[in-house]
Amino acid sequence: MKLVVPYNYIPEQFSNHEKFFDLWKPVLQSGEFTLGPFVENFENKFASYIGSKFCIAVNNGTDALILSLKAAGIGPGDEIITPSNSFYATTGAIVAVGAIPVFSDVDSRYQIEISGMKTLITKKTKAILPVHWAGASPDMLQIIEFARQQDLLVIEDACMAIGGKLHGKSPGTFGDLGAYSMHPLKTLNVAGDGGMVVTNNEALYLWMKKFRNHGMTNRNEIEFWGVNMRIQPLQAVIANYFLDYVDGFVRIRNRNASYLDNLLNDLERYLQIPNRLNHNLETFSLYMILASDRDNLIKYLIHHGVEAKIHYPTPLHLQPAAQKLGLNKQALPVAEKQARELLTIPIHQYLKFSQLDYVSQLIHTFYQNESR
Amino acid sequence: MSYKIPYVDFGPTTRSSKVELINAFGRVLDSGRFVLGEEVKVFEKEFADYCGTEYAAGLANGTCSLHLIFRALGIGPGDEVITAPNSFIATASAIAQVGAKPVFVDTKLDFNIDPDLIESAITENTKAIVPVHLTGRVARMNEITNIAKANNLLIIEDSAQSVGAELDGKKAGSFGDVASFSFHPLKNLHAFGDAGIVTSNKIDVITELNMLKNHGLQDRSTCAQWGLNCRLDEMQAAFLSVQLPQLDALTNERRRIAEFFNKNLSEVVDTPTESKNEKHVYQTYVIRSDRRDKLKEYLNTNGVEALIHYPIPIHLQPAARYLNYKKGSFPVVEKLSNEILSLPLYPGMPTQHQEQVVSLILKFYGIK
Repeated sequence: MKLVVPYNYIPEQFSNHEKFFDLWKPVLQSGEFTLGPFVENFENKFASYIGSKFCIAVNNGTDALILSLKAAGIGPGDEIITPSNSFYATTGAIVAVGAIPVFSDVDSRYQIEISGMKTLITKKTKAILPVHWAGASPDMLQIIEFARQQDLLVIEDACMAIGGKLHGKSPGTFGDLGAYSMHPLKTLNVAGDGGMVVTNNEALYLWMKKFRNHGMTNRNEIEFWGVNMRIQPLQAVIANYFLDYVDGFVRIRNRNASYLDNLLNDLERYLQIPNRLNHNLETFSLYMILASDRDNLIKYLIHHGVEAKIHYPTPLHLQPAAQKLGLNKQALPVAEKQARELLTIPIHQYLKFSQLDYVSQLIHTFYQNESR
Repeated sequence: MSYKIPYVDFGPTTRSSKVELINAFGRVLDSGRFVLGEEVKVFEKEFADYCGTEYAAGLANGTCSLHLIFRALGIGPGDEVITAPNSFIATASAIAQVGAKPVFVDTKLDFNIDPDLIESAITENTKAIVPVHLTGRVARMNEITNIAKANNLLIIEDSAQSVGAELDGKKAGSFGDVASFSFHPLKNLHAFGDAGIVTSNKIDVITELNMLKNHGLQDRSTCAQWGLNCRLDEMQAAFLSVQLPQLDALTNERRRIAEFFNKNLSEVVDTPTESKNEKHVYQTYVIRSDRRDKLKEYLNTNGVEALIHYPIPIHLQPAARYLNYKKGSFPVVEKLSNEILSLPLYPGMPTQHQEQVVSLILKFYGIK
């Protein structure tokens, strides 16, 4: 079957080789292949774009989360509240610093459930790690207020939310630290891996800068054990370039999402489209709906050339990696139910309405056949 | 400050592969795969073949490759790992990162760990030895292997500086249980950014590493253990594949320049040596001088970018204070740190520059 609605748009986005080679030329000529001016340029530009004082670019979104947690002083024995429906790296980062993830259930917009959060707090709780899942935002104002009351830090996983807005502010700038990813299929992307941390706290920023580069004070002196989580300058220049276009990408994704929302609206018997909030500009890193008979529907779509996906079929707390945490199967009913029904449909900026029409027709036909 | 004779210039070798590099660039862009695609797979195979090991696993850089090796081998809190204190900081910090304790052992005057001192550093908590093939010369792997066997220890070769180096016809990275390489931009075989790789004959170690470097994923939907993102970049892998076939020729050129330096400088400074059963790749060309600081200043002032790798040994770094080593703990390494000087040496280094370096040093010593 020919791919009619592809999920991957990289070949299109990078079809103009010359353009990207031109971006790389000054880096290649300068020999600045680790940190240096190209990285700093991007960091400054991103900080001002996102509305934060400091930005530190790292090798990927996972590193951004690890660096944020480390900077916040999170370590062995600390408990971190985080939703159960994120990418593996959110929890992976918590475990990487030796802390313990405490999973929260999610709401109908796939965002961390705030109302039950109080019951998850123990003496060991140090921080909340909310995720702007799929590029939509949880109610950060409420989370921040709750965190202040409970004396907790807030580290935002805004990996999917570059270009989004909540009450006019960028995701990732509400808490103490915010982490971003520039993985190839993110709204702001590079030709490989890349990530960032933002903060308004200068002391944390300066510490992170050292930790990212072996704990070096200067070339010869090592203040503390650090790591290498440097972003590649060759990727930083691509990020720098796409940053000028990210708002446009997000606009087109929103246009596509509303278009598809409207096309699917009449299938409310079978599909559940999440609420779209006026004060939250979503990035639609993932366009996700809940679908009845999901497993057959996705097979049908794939069979007809629509590269639909599931993010993800098994929630984090039910992964083999989480077994040690001892959560039983009914622990988080909403996340578990959604995992059985979630469907991700391609929505990216290179799709045409005709392709979305095709997706809608397929879904309509599928449910017509089913109800027959 | 820019130097007339820079420490390294990859311009000559990069220019000679320009067409292949641009082709690789286009191939990756067209593939639509920027993460763990064909290029990484192909390079892993090529590199394993080159080193004479069964397997290789590409990683984001040489630091995370060491870190993940320790994790994959189950080395952690309470364990001790023996290594040399004159390496780049990452050798020790990767040990510390998994919660294990770096235990340092002094080196010989050739910069590599002294096997005679290893056994007295072994305790019941020792899990592994990390010999560092510093400057491009393989450590005394026969002796080290015997010690490891007798004491049931793992060997992790830190081969970050020694791609292509040989001992008894065997390549660095093929002696121990597992080995870590770096393709940092200043390495003999280098990426245009950070990159690293691990070689091993043990499939279980490689499988574990491949899982850990990609979020602990067993498949797209199953997370077997919480992991990290330490993947070798697809584009860098493609660039490395272009350069690997040229490596031996470039190494030979390094060796020719080193020979020229050896021949002309050995009267005034200590120059690196090489036995019949060794192949030194001169990742760094390090001389020893009793007037090192003055000589360095003289060379720098006269436009030669001579460097020190490294002026402060790891055990004397602020980061290592908690390990309670002191000045005098490792007399050879400390002596070396006052005497070593790395001279510019790279394939394509103009003959004139080579001659200028020699004549400046001779002049400094009052000859000519």
